[in-house]
Amino acid sequence: MGYKSVREMESFLLEGQRQALELTAEGIASLLSGRKDLFSGLAGVPEVVGLAYHPIPTELKESLPFEASGTQWAELLGPLADYTGSGSYECGIEFSPESFWVRHAVGISDEYFYALFDVVDDIVIYRDPDRLKLDHSDQVRLTLESPGRSPDRYLLLSRKKEGRMSMYSMEADWRTPITGDSLTIVAAEFKREKTGYTVRIRIPEDFIGKSTRLFFEVLDVDDKKSREIRTKISTSPLGSEHVGQVHLTSPKLAELIRPLHLRAANITIWDKEYRVRAQLGSIFPEGYKLAPTDTSDMALLDRVSTLTLDVMDWLLRIPATDDFDSVVALNRLDEPLLQHSIREGKTVSELRRHGGAKVIAAAQPIWAEDQIIGSVLIKQSGNRVVTIKHATLSRFVILFLGVFLFLAIAIGVFATRLTYRVTRLQRETEQATTIDGRLLQDYIRSGTRAGDELGNLTRSISSMLQNLGQYTRYLEKLPDTLAHEMNNPLNVVNSSLDYLEYQHKELVDDKYLNRARSGIFRLRTILTSLTEAANLKEALRNEQSDEERFNLVELVTGCVDGYQLSNPSRTFVNHFPTSPLFIHGTPDRIAQLLDKLIDNAVQFGREQSTIIVRINELPNIIQLSIINDGPSLPTELSERVFDPMVSSSTDARHSHLGLGLYIVREIAEFHGATVIAKNRADANGVEVTVSFTKNS
Amino acid sequence: MPTTIAVVEDDADQRDTYVDVLIANGYVVNAYADKPSAQSAFRTALPDLAILDIMLGQDMDGGFDLCMELRNQSQTVPVIFITARDSDIDRISSQRMMAWDYITKPVSLAFLVARVHALLSIATHLQSPVPNTTVLTTNELDIDENSMSIQWRGQRLNFTLTEFQIVESLARRPGHVKTYDALIDVTRQGLVEKNTINGYIRRIRSKFREIDTAFNRIQTVHGTGYKWAQD
Repeated sequence: MGYKSVREMESFLLEGQRQALELTAEGIASLLSGRKDLFSGLAGVPEVVGLAYHPIPTELKESLPFEASGTQWAELLGPLADYTGSGSYECGIEFSPESFWVRHAVGISDEYFYALFDVVDDIVIYRDPDRLKLDHSDQVRLTLESPGRSPDRYLLLSRKKEGRMSMYSMEADWRTPITGDSLTIVAAEFKREKTGYTVRIRIPEDFIGKSTRLFFEVLDVDDKKSREIRTKISTSPLGSEHVGQVHLTSPKLAELIRPLHLRAANITIWDKEYRVRAQLGSIFPEGYKLAPTDTSDMALLDRVSTLTLDVMDWLLRIPATDDFDSVVALNRLDEPLLQHSIREGKTVSELRRHGGAKVIAAAQPIWAEDQIIGSVLIKQSGNRVVTIKHATLSRFVILFLGVFLFLAIAIGVFATRLTYRVTRLQRETEQATTIDGRLLQDYIRSGTRAGDELGNLTRSISSMLQNLGQYTRYLEKLPDTLAHEMNNPLNVVNSSLDYLEYQHKELVDDKYLNRARSGIFRLRTILTSLTEAANLKEALRNEQSDEERFNLVELVTGCVDGYQLSNPSRTFVNHFPTSPLFIHGTPDRIAQLLDKLIDNAVQFGREQSTIIVRINELPNIIQLSIINDGPSLPTELSERVFDPMVSSSTDARHSHLGLGLYIVREIAEFHGATVIAKNRADANGVEVTVSFTKNS
Repeated sequence: MPTTIAVVEDDADQRDTYVDVLIANGYVVNAYADKPSAQSAFRTALPDLAILDIMLGQDMDGGFDLCMELRNQSQTVPVIFITARDSDIDRISSQRMMAWDYITKPVSLAFLVARVHALLSIATHLQSPVPNTTVLTTNELDIDENSMSIQWRGQRLNFTLTEFQIVESLARRPGHVKTYDALIDVTRQGLVEKNTINGYIRRIRSKFREIDTAFNRIQTVHGTGYKWAQD
């Protein structure tokens, strides 16, 4: 859309420029209307014969250095005119541009008239000094025609590769010189080039004279033996026989339009024979150089920035400045415009495109007493508008790119942040519970303050975890509350039994009284283990300050000695390392853990069997294993055996709440250890392993 | 003048049993079911010993309130808490209120009577001190069984009856290991877990360390029990 509006703006501006040019042309035309005198044939000096529609000689501010090379001349004289192909005369059908091809440029300074010929010639034939006739070598002919006189003919020849050319005044047949003496007033320099040769001619203005018309011919001889003239190319469209169309400068006319200088515009005044009478200004912008900039000695940074700009130009199709050359070369496009203007008396204008370059041309007829005496043609580069357009487009593109980049980065940052937050939420949610569904953390730590939907979700999950945590704590407290509530009625029963015994001494050994006591004992055991398990977490937290570094081997050795004493029906076997192994923790609790494991091993082991207690030292962990000899764990229990109230016991009289291994797990986890239970490889018992991290 | 014991217990069955057994042992017993009735009675006349339940009906800490009130009137009235609440916080609270003992339910009546006897005799002893009754003295530890007081390096420690008995039994034979079973017998509380003994030892050690941070006389013999290290 931006591009479209810029395009429309551009065409609007170009249209405006076109109308302005038309108005200017009209203004100049009205200024010149009725001034027949300015267009009279003899008003100008000097006349240069050339093609119609061809630019008139370049007006030079200073004299050309004669010693300068042809290339330098070409630069100073401006673009060379082509006299090959359609512009060639008397070439014959065998004409070949590779064999012979002439380009030339002419210029006038205050003192001299200059002509440069750049000739492509495959075989260059020099003058043979032995021959009297002069029409047997490559040569340049100059014809001057002053009003009321027969034309003067001059021949320019070279005998060698490089150097001054001889000049002779010639008869009409161009074969014999009028006098044998070479003329020196005209300086002509010949130089052999790779593809042919160049000829530089400097003629003093006095020599040409006022109101003189002149034209050149270049002749080519290729056969060294026969020395026949093969091709003749003339600057006159009518060939050598007629002094044809004329480029005519009218100093007065030029003087008149001088104040009308337009920036980057070329104003030409044409007579009705399509001859240029005056011109002003150049279509090239100020400071424009024909030669391309040499980039080889540019700093690297500049080169990079130039390259960047080039890429940008290429993207936006900004016209290269070189396109102006093609604009100049295509002056023929003025033809229809001038014809419209001069023949039909119309104001015409058009917008031309040459590649990326834009040129606006306007032609306006000049009237004098109902007759068209000439035309004003103004050509102005539209590239200023195009440049503005491209600058605007560049800004647009840069702005869009900037905005896109910003948005992309913003979206990227946002998406990354969102992903990070979702991942973090997922991680924390996963970390809040264990694989077996236990709650480790009842809140989400990070991201709960965010005000967006994700923040809401985080808060929801956090509060869900909180509720779950409260419920879990309630469940964990339940046994304690239950035990507490049951202790009161139990106390009633117990104290009543006490009192009964106290009052009735004969009942001391009563069978039923003892059974009642044994029932109370079992109830109390249950309640004690319930409260022990229920209060364990809190108790462990309270004991954190009691933690110390202690020798695990020594502790286990002491404990196992005690177990052997209290369990004479089992054989305890120790596999301990000889060196002490220190861990950090509460020794009482580790002893409690061991108690529970041994209790379990004894209870589920066979009578008179062996219980192996083993401590293994691995690179980073210390393993404490209790291996008993008895039935295997039911497979469905092996993973849940450490959960509270899970037991494989089937003995009705032995109350087994399955709290022992739960306590083991709690103590192990409190010490940063893990505990697993698995069946022995030979299926003859169970091995429980607690793995402590070293240096913990 | 007969010894008066106040029993505050909201459960009528338990209250009546305590009353019955104490009366049978020759004490005068006043029983109260709630805090207000006990409070008004204590304002008229202080008992010689008070047995308090902590939870009184809906009043979660009614027993503690009563204990505070008794302490305000007398620094020496022996107070025994009998409660179903078995947590460190409650034990510590009772200590702060200078309760003499903390017994968890269910309680053996014979044990209760023995406690009441012991505490009353200590109270009597405190009111009319007999000099040189220290039965056990080491370099740093002085134990006076009559006043149930223990001094470490001249500083008096505030132990409950059970804690006193554990320290006394350990210190009586320095270097000799007291097994868990032996210590459980010392507490005379029927069913006691090893961990309960560990809890007592922990509390005893922390009381010693309050006045002597380097205290390490009570040593653990893993898997077996504890011993009092020799000097």
